Amino acid sequence: MIGTVRKQLSSHPALIPLFVFIGGGVVMSMSYLARLALRNPDVCWDRKNNPEPWNKLAPTYQYKFYAVGIDYSKLKKEGPDF
Amino acid sequence: MAHPSQLGFQDAASPLMEELLHFHDHALMIVILISTMVLYIIVAMVTAQLTDKLVLDSQEIEVIWTVLPAIILILIALPSLRILYLMDEINDPHLTIKALGHQWYWSYEYTDYQDLGFDSYMIPTQDLTPGQFRLLEADHRMVIPVESPIRVLISAEDVLHSWAVPSLGVKVDAVPGRLNQATFIVSRPGVFYGQCSEICGANHSFMPVVVEAVPLDHFENWSSLMIEDA
Repeated sequence: MIGTVRKQLSSHPALIPLFVFIGGGVVMSMSYLARLALRNPDVCWDRKNNPEPWNKLAPTYQYKFYAVGIDYSKLKKEGPDF
Repeated sequence: MAHPSQLGFQDAASPLMEELLHFHDHALMIVILISTMVLYIIVAMVTAQLTDKLVLDSQEIEVIWTVLPAIILILIALPSLRILYLMDEINDPHLTIKALGHQWYWSYEYTDYQDLGFDSYMIPTQDLTPGQFRLLEADHRMVIPVESPIRVLISAEDVLHSWAVPSLGVKVDAVPGRLNQATFIVSRPGVFYGQCSEICGANHSFMPVVVEAVPLDHFENWSSLMIEDA
C-alpha cells in the first residue's frame, strides 16, 4: 500500500502537505490522549497498588498540559496534613 | 448589561473577558477576510464571460490552498487553547462565596469569616423605581471587593440552573449535588448583570444574577451591615 501511495505521490506532489498536516494532527491528538491516559490523576490503572492517584498529588504537580500564568514550583499546600 | 439591539459582547469587566473579547475579534476578522475573498471569487466566476478549456489541474495552487488554511487554523487554535488553559487556572482567591440556585432565586453565602447568607429575588416589574432595569434587578446584590480574585462555588438546591455574568466572562452550571468552581477578578467597580442560563421551570427568565463590585472598605461596611441586619 505504501508503494502505491508513493507512486501516486510522485505524479501528484501537492498531496504531500496534506499528509504532513493530517498526519501531524493525528500524532498530536493521539499523543494528547496518551498523556491523559498516563498522566491524568483521575485515571486509575493499578487498582491494587495505586487505587486513588488523585489523593497523592504534590501541590507543585502540573496536571494541566499548558500553564499560562501559574508558576507551579511556587505553589504551596493549602489544606492540613493528614 | 446589554443595550437594545446590541450585537456584540458587553464591555469586559474582568481580565479574562478581555482576553475572550480580543480572541473573538481575532477569529471574526479571519472569518470576515476569508468570506470576503470567497464571495469575490464566486462573483468573479459567475460573471466571467471567458473560459479556459485547457486548465485541468495545478500542483502549485493545490499546495497553496492546503498549506495556507492549515496555517490559518493553527493561528486560530493557539490563542484559543491559551485562553482555555488560562480559564482553568487557580489564582489564590481572597474570598469564597457560595451561589446556590433555587426555583426561582439565587442565594449567596459568605462564610469565610462569619456566617452571612441572603436570598436574591428579582424585583418585579411593578415595583421598579425609575432608572432600574426590567427583569434584571434583584433585591439583594452579590457584593464583592474590586480587583480581588474571587472564588464562587456554584450549586443548586432543586433543579439545574446556571450562574452567568456575561461581562465577567463567567457561566457555570448549577447542578444539584455537585459543586462547581469559578474564579474571576473584577477590574473596575460597577454593577454587572446576568441571567439564569439553564432552563429551570416557569420563572427561569425571572431569576437574575447581579454582581456589585465595590472598593474593599465599602465591601467591609456592607458585610458588617448585612450581618447585623440578619
